[in-house]
Amino acid sequence: MGDALLIVLLGLPMTLLVTVLAFTIGLIGGIPLMLGLRSRTRAVRLACRFAVDLIRGVPPIVWLFLLYFGITIGAFRLDSLSAAVWGLGIISSAYLAEIYRGGFATLPSGQAEASAALGLGRTVTITRVLAPQALRTSLPSIATYLLSLLKDSSIASTIGVADMVFNATMFARQNPTTAGIVPFFIAAAVYLVISIPVAITARRLDTRLRRTH
Amino acid sequence: MNVPLITEANELAIAGVDISNLSKRFGDNLVLDDISMRVKPGSVTALIGPSGSGKSTLLRCVNLLETPDGGSITVGSQTIRAGERVKDKDLLALRRQVGMVFQSFNLFPHFTVLRNVAFPQERILGRSREEAEARARVLLERVGLAEKADQHPGKCSGGQQQRIAIVRALALNPRVMLFDEPTSALDPEVGVEVLTVMRELADAGMTMIVVTHEMQFARDVSDHLVVMADGRIIEEGDPAEIMANPGEDRTRRFLSAVLER
Repeated sequence: MGDALLIVLLGLPMTLLVTVLAFTIGLIGGIPLMLGLRSRTRAVRLACRFAVDLIRGVPPIVWLFLLYFGITIGAFRLDSLSAAVWGLGIISSAYLAEIYRGGFATLPSGQAEASAALGLGRTVTITRVLAPQALRTSLPSIATYLLSLLKDSSIASTIGVADMVFNATMFARQNPTTAGIVPFFIAAAVYLVISIPVAITARRLDTRLRRTH
Repeated sequence: MNVPLITEANELAIAGVDISNLSKRFGDNLVLDDISMRVKPGSVTALIGPSGSGKSTLLRCVNLLETPDGGSITVGSQTIRAGERVKDKDLLALRRQVGMVFQSFNLFPHFTVLRNVAFPQERILGRSREEAEARARVLLERVGLAEKADQHPGKCSGGQQQRIAIVRALALNPRVMLFDEPTSALDPEVGVEVLTVMRELADAGMTMIVVTHEMQFARDVSDHLVVMADGRIIEEGDPAEIMANPGEDRTRRFLSAVLER
């Protein structure tokens, strides 16, 4: 039991690393994709829509396999951590772009009009008037996505990233008679311990932002 | 509210508006049909007419929130012709001359009242934050809302929000002010607060175009009344005269419908 706990916990930094890096890529990468989805040029809109639907239409585990086993240029091959981080990061970009877009879509058209009528340019209107409001409305969805990404990061174990699930699996295999499902219970508990505070913080932040609105 | 809204003489550089042969379509629907109208510098023009008559669209063409399909608009010395590409620089120059107040206020909910009034000044006039906020406080004081400066617009009543919206536009020293049904979303007793501010602005000599259903305001404050129906101007002239003696049947029906409410 003690050994199982230790081994699973040794995978925690890797779980967090994959989650945080992929989420960061998604937070940033979602911005240009969202702008593309809202572009005034039809071709750009269609291209971004196609990319987002393509990325979201294929299971993450398949993307990771494609990236990890599929990209070989000469002797070059992505290592498992890079494949997991970039794969989940790109997937996050698509989901977050859609969440951002939804945030903008709920804003009353009067906001952009008032900004234009005042003489504020397009960039200032987006960055200072619309984005802060859109971000507030999307915050709960962004937090929900972070939580699902934390759990989905476990599929990185399938391409050999030594996260909690990877370690739990290894431990179970190495101790087939004694371990049982204990390592997986431990992993489940650790995921819960991380998720719940994130969920609570997100809810608090959301209520606070709603109050100032 | 005895202090006039605009006292700085040099800031009151007013402009006139000239609209000629303006047309606008939404799909197959001709919403503005060959509209020509002249607004003298420093005058107040009231635009009235049944809903769907095109009065809001006409107003929104003046600052190019809607792009006209034909004709031209001149504000001060700047002329915009339909069909010609408007450069961003010219668009911003036009909007700098023209302030607009909306039916639904459209204050920025994530900013405090003070920031709502100061932020556009910083961006558009290049004022420092201190300068912009000082100016904002003076203007808020003049419409009786100094104590609201540090609150968010959500905490203000509709009448207060609309007065803040007027101040936000005025802080940029516009040369023409457009009002798109500024009191239609307000209870009558609250609407009065807003109309009082608009009256002061008119007295101070601002050029104003006002889309409204407030007949008393149109009669007492405006210099010129324009009646629209089906995308056309059906009648225009002295407000009191038209109201007492409408020349068109459509005008008569519209006026009696509004006045009976």
